[in-house]
Amino acid sequence: MGVALEKFPAICGVLPGGSGILTTADAFINWSRKSSVWPVTFGLACCAIEMMAAYASRFDFDRLGVIPRPSPRQADLMLIAGTVSKKMADPIVQIYRQMPEPRFVISMGSCANCGGPFHDSYAVLKGVDKIIPVAVYLAGCPPRPEALYYAVLKLQEKIQQMKIGHGAGAAPQQERGSRDLGAP
Amino acid sequence: MTNERVTAQILAQFPQLEKDPSPVKDYPTLRLPDAASLLPVISHLKDSLGFSYLDMVTAVDWKGPVDPAGYVREERAHPFQAKPAAAAAAKPLPGAPYRDAFTLVYALSRFANPLKIFLKLDVPREQPRAASLARIFRTADWQEREVFDLFGIFFDGHPDLRRILTLESLQGHPLRKDYAHAEDRFDR
Repeated sequence: MGVALEKFPAICGVLPGGSGILTTADAFINWSRKSSVWPVTFGLACCAIEMMAAYASRFDFDRLGVIPRPSPRQADLMLIAGTVSKKMADPIVQIYRQMPEPRFVISMGSCANCGGPFHDSYAVLKGVDKIIPVAVYLAGCPPRPEALYYAVLKLQEKIQQMKIGHGAGAAPQQERGSRDLGAP
Repeated sequence: MTNERVTAQILAQFPQLEKDPSPVKDYPTLRLPDAASLLPVISHLKDSLGFSYLDMVTAVDWKGPVDPAGYVREERAHPFQAKPAAAAAAKPLPGAPYRDAFTLVYALSRFANPLKIFLKLDVPREQPRAASLARIFRTADWQEREVFDLFGIFFDGHPDLRRILTLESLQGHPLRKDYAHAEDRFDR
């Protein structure tokens, strides 16, 4: 998003009454962050159809500043829209690591949440939170575009609570996600 | 009409073939007696009879009945789900043609004077092998890789026989009836 967070505590430190300014800076940075949540284009199964509908003119995700980016380097959000097969698990971790921090993940649909109807399968990951930390879980099979809207609004609420005082990072479970399989 | 004529033509050329008693829909369906006649028959169909397109290669596992214990299931019974214990006893279906064999199914198409034809070949479940069609039809490359991946049937002369759909680390071949899933690093 282009906000130089590393320099911010230093700037605030030399100002008298820094704590008051800190609150304002938090609000300002969080506002800019939540207003331009750019997701990396990523569709895995039928949930991607609902995701595309949310991008398109009828639901118009651009209103929330959600503009799909073709590269993980320019993205803040990864929408896991669909069934995560075990073959796809390693590429997802790789793409997640290519995203700049702070980065968020919305797990969309039953398959991404827990494996869904494919829970018994030999080939499907039982929840994407086994490999990357998830900020918002969205139930449904598939969730409607309105539900995806609601998930992004929930994510914006979480972003609004982030504090620079916690470092360049992040939401509470940002880096210590639930379970990180292949952490180096 | 066309079906019978083509079938008669092929049977005249290869008398060891026989008509399949359970054909695929209304298509001419021929059964190959052994793996050695696969390549000559396919070459003849392509070069002399104009079947220039390989629709698909697939397989059927005739082992039975299926033991559901091999499937991935959670140990604990779900609150609103009946325990699958009753399903554990696998009962053979009356009249099911169980045997210790895979059936390879080939579908070929002809676009001039359109026709589709099916070939079936039984291979034993122990050491299942067949000749690869990859030198005749390029598309057989990936289709045979898929059959190898899911059934474990080896194709002699295949240029690159690797798994194509499942993880390289997966043990066993999932569409075999006796497949038992071994827990991998993603299941924990």
